[in-house]
Amino acid sequence: MSDATTGATTTGTAKQHLVMEHLVSLTYRDALPPSLDRFVDRLLEGHIVGHRCPSCSRVYVPPRGYCPMCVVPTAADHEVEVSDRGILTGFTVITPIAYYGQQETEPFVHASVRLDGADTTLVGVEITGVPHDELRMGLRVKAVWKPESERSTEGISSRGWGGVSSVIDSFEPTGEPDAPPDEYRDHVF
Amino acid sequence: MAERCAVVGVGQTHFTKRRDDVSMPGLLREAVDRALDDAELTLADIDAVVIGKAPDAFEGIVQPELFLADALGAAGKPLMRVHTAGSVGGSTVLVAAHLVQSRIHRRVLAVAWEKQSEGNAQWGLAGGRSGGIGAGGAFAPWIRAYIQRSQAPEYIGWMVAVKDRLNALKNPYAHLRIADITLEKVKESPMLWDPLRFLESCPSSDGACAVVLTDEAGGRRAPRPPAWIAATAMRSELGQFPGRDPVRPQAGVECSADVYRLAGITDPRRQIDVAELYVPFSWYEPMWLEGHDIAGPGEGWKIVDAGETEMGGAFPVNPSGGVLSSNAIGASGMVRFAEAALQVRGLAGEHQVDGARTALAQAYGGAAQYFALGILRSDPD
Amino acid sequence: MAATGTATDIAVVGWAQTPAVRRSPSTEVQLLVPTITDAIAMAGLDRREIGFTCSGSCDYLTGGPFAFVQNLEASGAWPPIAESHVEMDGAWALYEAWVRLQHGDIDTALVFSSGKSSASEPMELWPHQLDPYYLAPLGVDPASLAGLQARALLDAGKATERDFAEVVARSRRNGRANPNAQLTGEADVDALLAEPYLREPLRRHDLPPIGDGAAALVLARGARARELCARPAWIRGIDHRIEPHQPGMRDLTTSTSAALAARKAGYDGGPLDLAELHAPFSPQEIVLRQSLGLPEGTEVNPSGGALAANVVMVAGLARVIEAAARIVDGGADRALAHATNGQLLQHNLVCVLEGE
Repeated sequence: MSDATTGATTTGTAKQHLVMEHLVSLTYRDALPPSLDRFVDRLLEGHIVGHRCPSCSRVYVPPRGYCPMCVVPTAADHEVEVSDRGILTGFTVITPIAYYGQQETEPFVHASVRLDGADTTLVGVEITGVPHDELRMGLRVKAVWKPESERSTEGISSRGWGGVSSVIDSFEPTGEPDAPPDEYRDHVF
Repeated sequence: MAERCAVVGVGQTHFTKRRDDVSMPGLLREAVDRALDDAELTLADIDAVVIGKAPDAFEGIVQPELFLADALGAAGKPLMRVHTAGSVGGSTVLVAAHLVQSRIHRRVLAVAWEKQSEGNAQWGLAGGRSGGIGAGGAFAPWIRAYIQRSQAPEYIGWMVAVKDRLNALKNPYAHLRIADITLEKVKESPMLWDPLRFLESCPSSDGACAVVLTDEAGGRRAPRPPAWIAATAMRSELGQFPGRDPVRPQAGVECSADVYRLAGITDPRRQIDVAELYVPFSWYEPMWLEGHDIAGPGEGWKIVDAGETEMGGAFPVNPSGGVLSSNAIGASGMVRFAEAALQVRGLAGEHQVDGARTALAQAYGGAAQYFALGILRSDPD
Repeated sequence: MAATGTATDIAVVGWAQTPAVRRSPSTEVQLLVPTITDAIAMAGLDRREIGFTCSGSCDYLTGGPFAFVQNLEASGAWPPIAESHVEMDGAWALYEAWVRLQHGDIDTALVFSSGKSSASEPMELWPHQLDPYYLAPLGVDPASLAGLQARALLDAGKATERDFAEVVARSRRNGRANPNAQLTGEADVDALLAEPYLREPLRRHDLPPIGDGAAALVLARGARARELCARPAWIRGIDHRIEPHQPGMRDLTTSTSAALAARKAGYDGGPLDLAELHAPFSPQEIVLRQSLGLPEGTEVNPSGGALAANVVMVAGLARVIEAAARIVDGGADRALAHATNGQLLQHNLVCVLEGE
């Protein structure tokens, strides 16, 4: 067998003579497109920007460089700044599963936050300052920014995975009253 | 008018944690040979091969169908490789059926597989990064939204988990065999992706599934009863956009409406005898009952609660034990079609639903955004 | 019934391509947004009228599982669409769409594909397309495999190194007229032959350029095609065949699968105005020409072919687009387009196109 792509070691009851360990390393260069380049620059400065679709006016954060609803390109002149406060629209608490490269060991929150002024949600953010059993959809939250000197672009990918965690540590409750379901139920993702 | 298409052969491997006694080609051939035996055909009788599997990263091979071509006897034939995320096994059957329905080929082999033990799907799902959330992490927020919206009691998820594992005990190919499973055991199992518990989640399996599809003449002369593909439909939608309802995705609603219309079904709950639905996490059973208009919004969990989806119930779901009991990812969608076919052929053995003549097969994938559905029947008309 | 039929007339009525470039700053989906929009606009359709959509791409190019899922964002998948995807060159997505159109219940289809080789190291990546037990661990890259094929061709007396260089010179010269080509210009055959080997007997210029890009194509059926296009490029036949993967199982100097696909696609060896052959390595064009039995006088790769622009997952579909374009503009009446998938021409598709 070939244990391709992973660093996992082969264990268990396999007959060793049947097992071939084949670890693969591939190099990828993930260049950020101009739309995200600008988003990252502003993020490092402590501002969150998105693109407003010229056709339907929906605001996408991070900017995708197009509106998938209208299938039209968006660019720098469609840039708008949004708030670093918003609504927790959906979440789960993840018990990390071990795999090659996994560094998480303790349960962590995987949440979606719709920032004020945005129509999309930031996905995969951590929520702190509230016990896990008090998390709820509709919770008003605000960004906890890393000190400027500690911010990096490490977690940001052109594929839209990873996220802002290398700049914004987490989101925490603002103390404002919860938002009504109308404001989050269409933004669970 | 499209040609009629029949499933005349079904083959599965036993689903299990790791099959290190066979290579990938060996695994596929096990399923393929069983399907061909069922159809009393050989590889030489096959006109074209369609292969489906989930992302290549799961085994670490780019386009593995290229090397599998040899073992599948595909040399000199057309070979297609389908990839539509988790729905791929279902889509693979549909693409193969299209080749028959369009009269391009008369006998097509469709095969779908995953050999998760030869790679690492969690690594693959995370794109090689830390902090991967797994499929459960992706679906858990929507399951929470469903529970909140429908006001379903939390034991509904446990009930589905128990029911599918008990069904699996009657399916010789199923991976998980938890004879002593109870609501209490599910409830006490670790919370993996809140609100999803360990026993409410699917396993990681090695395995393959194959089906042989023929035209009407092939179906009529098949050695065992065929399953007639009465209707198929596929739909896709954007995974994330403002206003999207990932709990009851529109693509799923429209896909089922299409397949019911094509099959002349107006009351799916009464007119369908058995359903094999893609339920990798227990809550997806009530969610798909609603997502495919088998139950009204907020009513799906009540059907589960009433026991209607059990083997002897009015609307049995996943008599095979479903994805909750066996999950060789790429194969899982095809197993739904294969099991639906076995039901309407009357060949499902111990997990046969009495008198099943119309079955629904469903697969979904991505961010609950890809759908492949089929209606299979005992009769051609 | 024959493997392919002409029972249903299906034609290419619109298309668009991005230029092939070494490194595009855009993501695949950003490349696809204007490309798909332009192809649909050329056909005079609204995207909501499209009956079926099929795309081709390869996750491993950008290294992300489910990379194709995001490409859905360029295809207007809201409201939901009937859609499928192949982990193959876009030419096979075209095949699937053509099959779907045979059913007769829909009359238009959109096909698209994209590829960004700039994100990875091709020589590092493509060895993993080989048999994981017997070949991948050897780490043989595509150029080395193509070198073995070239050597076999020379040893069989079916071609000379000069023949390889002439393919390169013609491809680059033809590419000058193709606004989407990446590697173009005048090349002197003797000067090419004076260059050092990269993988003997192949020189660097016998290899394709590495490119990023996207392409889209619109198909329509019967009367609808005539409505949408003054002179549709009718698909008279299309078929594809695969061969064994193990190179030792095959005669590398010939392509039995391309020849079989051509026959099944209804190509009878008759006159052709042009052939667009997807031959990433120069000797492969010679293998294809000989195996397909192209008549004398057939113009080969007027676009410059894969030696002028080779966006992986797109280059096959681009051959169909280039052939169709020549028919639609009246420059040709009958053309053959070919696409390949895998190494060493393992899998080949042939599409015969005609004007009316």
